[in-house]
Amino acid sequence: MKILKKYLFFLNVVLFPFYLHSQDIKDTVKLKSIEIKDSLIKKYSYIASDISKTQIQNSNTHDIGEFLRTVPNVSGLRKGGIAVDPVIRGFRYSELNVVLDNGIKIENGCPNRMDPVSSHVEADDIEKIEIIKGPYTLRYGSSLGGVLNFVTIKPQKYDEFEIHANAMYGFETNWNGQKEHISVFGGYKKIYFLFSGGYKNYGNYESGNLDDLDTTYNSSFEKYNYMGKVGFILTPNQNILFSYSNIRSNDVLYPALPMDEVSDNTQIGSIDYSLKNIGNIIKTFDIKIYRSDVNHIMDNSKRSNYSTKQMIAEVDAINTGGRAELNLQLNKHKIIAGLDFEDIAKDGERIMTMQMMGTSSTKKTNLWNDALIQNSGLYAEYTTSFSSYEINASIRCDYNKATSKDTLKLVKDAIEYFDDVSSQSLNLSANAGITKKINDHLSISLALCRGVRTPNMLERYIKLLAVGYDNYDYLGNPRLKPEINYEADLTLKYSKENLGAVYLNGFYSYVTDYISSVRIPPSIITSQTQGVLGVKQFANTDHVTFEGFELGYTSPEQFRLNTSIVAAYTYGVIPEDIKYITSGTQVIGETTVINDALPEIPPFETTLGISYKFVKRNITPKISIRIVADQRHTSVALYESYTPGFALLNFSVKCKINKFADINAGINNIFDRAYYEHLNRKIVGSTGKLYEPGRVFFINLYVNI
Amino acid sequence: MKVFCLRNLFLILIMLVIFSCKKTQEKATVAETGHINFLFTHNVDDQPLNTDTMMYINAAGNLYEVNQLMYFISDVKLYKSDGTIKVIDDWKNINYVDIDIPSTLTWNVYDSIPVGAYDSISFTFGINAEKNKSFMFVNHPESNMAWPDMLGGGYHYMMLNGKWQDSINQIENFNFHLGIGQLYKSNATNCVDSIYAYVQNYFNVSLPNSSFTITEGTTRNIEIIMNIDSWFKTPHIYNHNYWGGNIMQIQPAMQMIKENGYDVFSVGNIN
Repeated sequence: MKILKKYLFFLNVVLFPFYLHSQDIKDTVKLKSIEIKDSLIKKYSYIASDISKTQIQNSNTHDIGEFLRTVPNVSGLRKGGIAVDPVIRGFRYSELNVVLDNGIKIENGCPNRMDPVSSHVEADDIEKIEIIKGPYTLRYGSSLGGVLNFVTIKPQKYDEFEIHANAMYGFETNWNGQKEHISVFGGYKKIYFLFSGGYKNYGNYESGNLDDLDTTYNSSFEKYNYMGKVGFILTPNQNILFSYSNIRSNDVLYPALPMDEVSDNTQIGSIDYSLKNIGNIIKTFDIKIYRSDVNHIMDNSKRSNYSTKQMIAEVDAINTGGRAELNLQLNKHKIIAGLDFEDIAKDGERIMTMQMMGTSSTKKTNLWNDALIQNSGLYAEYTTSFSSYEINASIRCDYNKATSKDTLKLVKDAIEYFDDVSSQSLNLSANAGITKKINDHLSISLALCRGVRTPNMLERYIKLLAVGYDNYDYLGNPRLKPEINYEADLTLKYSKENLGAVYLNGFYSYVTDYISSVRIPPSIITSQTQGVLGVKQFANTDHVTFEGFELGYTSPEQFRLNTSIVAAYTYGVIPEDIKYITSGTQVIGETTVINDALPEIPPFETTLGISYKFVKRNITPKISIRIVADQRHTSVALYESYTPGFALLNFSVKCKINKFADINAGINNIFDRAYYEHLNRKIVGSTGKLYEPGRVFFINLYVNI
Repeated sequence: MKVFCLRNLFLILIMLVIFSCKKTQEKATVAETGHINFLFTHNVDDQPLNTDTMMYINAAGNLYEVNQLMYFISDVKLYKSDGTIKVIDDWKNINYVDIDIPSTLTWNVYDSIPVGAYDSISFTFGINAEKNKSFMFVNHPESNMAWPDMLGGGYHYMMLNGKWQDSINQIENFNFHLGIGQLYKSNATNCVDSIYAYVQNYFNVSLPNSSFTITEGTTRNIEIIMNIDSWFKTPHIYNHNYWGGNIMQIQPAMQMIKENGYDVFSVGNIN
């Protein structure tokens, strides 16, 4: 034990200067009857954490994707001022299973992912975010790299009629952004309800100061939303909840994409039925039915090339689905079993008009042509414990089929690049984990899994749009095979009341049939987006590997002085990749790159957070220091550029004015550092990356009645 | 003992990540092939082209100068002595040449060319009907070659722009453009509503004296010369005074250019 203490002390001292970060992983908040406390040490054999509403509020975020970048081994792809697309351990897009309210799925409308799923949920409506690193939860669908579950605020019944309200107003300098949100909730024994609405209006932001120059990016946006939930207690053990939300955004500018968002209109409706206390073994039975409908319109009307070439695209994406789940318990054996289905329909068209020689030509092309993906799944999760062991296991079987009304035929030299558009697959996912409690404070876990992901709409059917990070038009591939991730996680957890909690996790992923892309010669198909370098088509590669670790420490909550340190690293390798040799704009040959880096893998980073509670714990100032290393392990084959490291200092103070009001104010990027994340996209028409915002002063006022 | 194990486990985790970092290497593909580059040069009366200087006289006696020259060649074929044909299309099969953009004057062909002796080279001047579709090129400079949809769409095969001194000694602009021609119901050639058919004006060029050999791992540079003065002679004498400056809607003029084009190209140095 002495050695262990010495070791922990050593860990603190040695890692302190390196692993500085301020991930808000430690706050304790009262949420109804649940106390969320130190999410890092949830009792699982894999890494799962819950982020509370308070943690989100304390971070002053207007975008969930941006907030998630503060979680270790979670990063994000930035293309504009909003809608940062989450990446977990290098897995992104549909490699992550992102769901809303334990099972609602949303198909993003934009092929360029201006609207990742995380952008279709308002930060102020979120009660908690569940993050699972690795495909270890199969309840919400199959997954390859991880699960994000955004749980929105749910109304609850009261014994006597009550009505309450929350309101928030926030302002940020730099982009003169203001946000407002109000919610009214209440009810009595039979009916309960919640209505909320919010509005955000942000201007263009300035980067930090570089050589006495600030760069202003066209990144403004306007967004508003409203949500309503009404629940009925049918019998003492039955209730039903009706939910509807509408999120709209207008004139959202994306300097790192070829077009901007003209409007996005997302409607989500769901019905949740719950039956509890059914019997001695069957504890609960839940049914959920939902429909999400995204209408997305984008164009290049605010770009310099608009006078010669006008582009407008409109996409409709509808996801309809449902799930039924049984919760069983027999002594120490817990089983969750269920079935689910989803039906994704997507249709979109692009209209291009070119001005030439005093005349104009117009061309309409479909981005998707009534494309349809249907998935049905059966799943079961099992947990038990005996002696000093805890065991968990899951299994899931999916039947997936896809089709489209595409008429494009692309065949050359007997090679079918785009032809038969229908496909189907039967996929088996499974995982198992064991945790050994070495003593009351220390445990070690091993988790193994097989996660399967079928190709998404974009990868199967997109037609010639610059949707990647590398300035190429992309073509879908209906013949793609599912990706399979074989992953192992080894985790050590130690927690003691007077010492805090520390954990260390290492993971290794071996992904077969990894979906990457290959260049398609212009002799087969030419690009359709101005400024791109050519066409790439999605394709399966043999295999790739991801490996890495994360490390976290949080001091005991009961102390006035609190610290948290997290550090994370991911290393991705593709054993063999083709590098095309270019001369000017001409491709003149190719070489094979052995053990190349996977693109868009975040570098090593660490964050330290220090806070101190005083004045009866009503005022809590906090500083956080985030240090991000250079990313030099970049893809040679894809000419990915190196990203310099940076360090940031943030300060905030949280003040409880009275039992009704709180203020959270602070400064982000105090030294106005000019920097960009490795995953930030390049500005369209340049080789320069989109910088992050410079110094921002913010203030948020919360009122709870 | 347990602590010892844990410490080792921690070290193993860190070491696993560090030592599993693999060195990135590049290796070239080895095959029994060589490569070719095409170098495009432009002559008038067997001398290198001087642009923007009113110094040339064509076969019709027009004094003229050349200001711009852009054109496409496509579907290049290499005829091997054993009867096989290598079509250049592994990467691209349409190549753009622009005398104002030096990088377009060299085509570093991506295709691996099988070793052996080749008798001759041929190509399509312009782009054939199957490939010549509007919106095929969206980037500069190729996109500037767009041919209006109402006149047949697709892209110009060639833009040869310059000036000539007309019969009353006025300097006039000529746009010696070749692309898809139109047939009109009436003689009002500018009335697009009276177009009843389109004519493909691309044509095949066989380069004389274009034999060469490819050896393993070597790159052969082949000079392709456009003799601009040839556009105005053999078999037809082309007179700017007769056809005027703009011929995009005059199919008979484009037909004459097409027929004059077969012997415009020759092969220069091969090394």
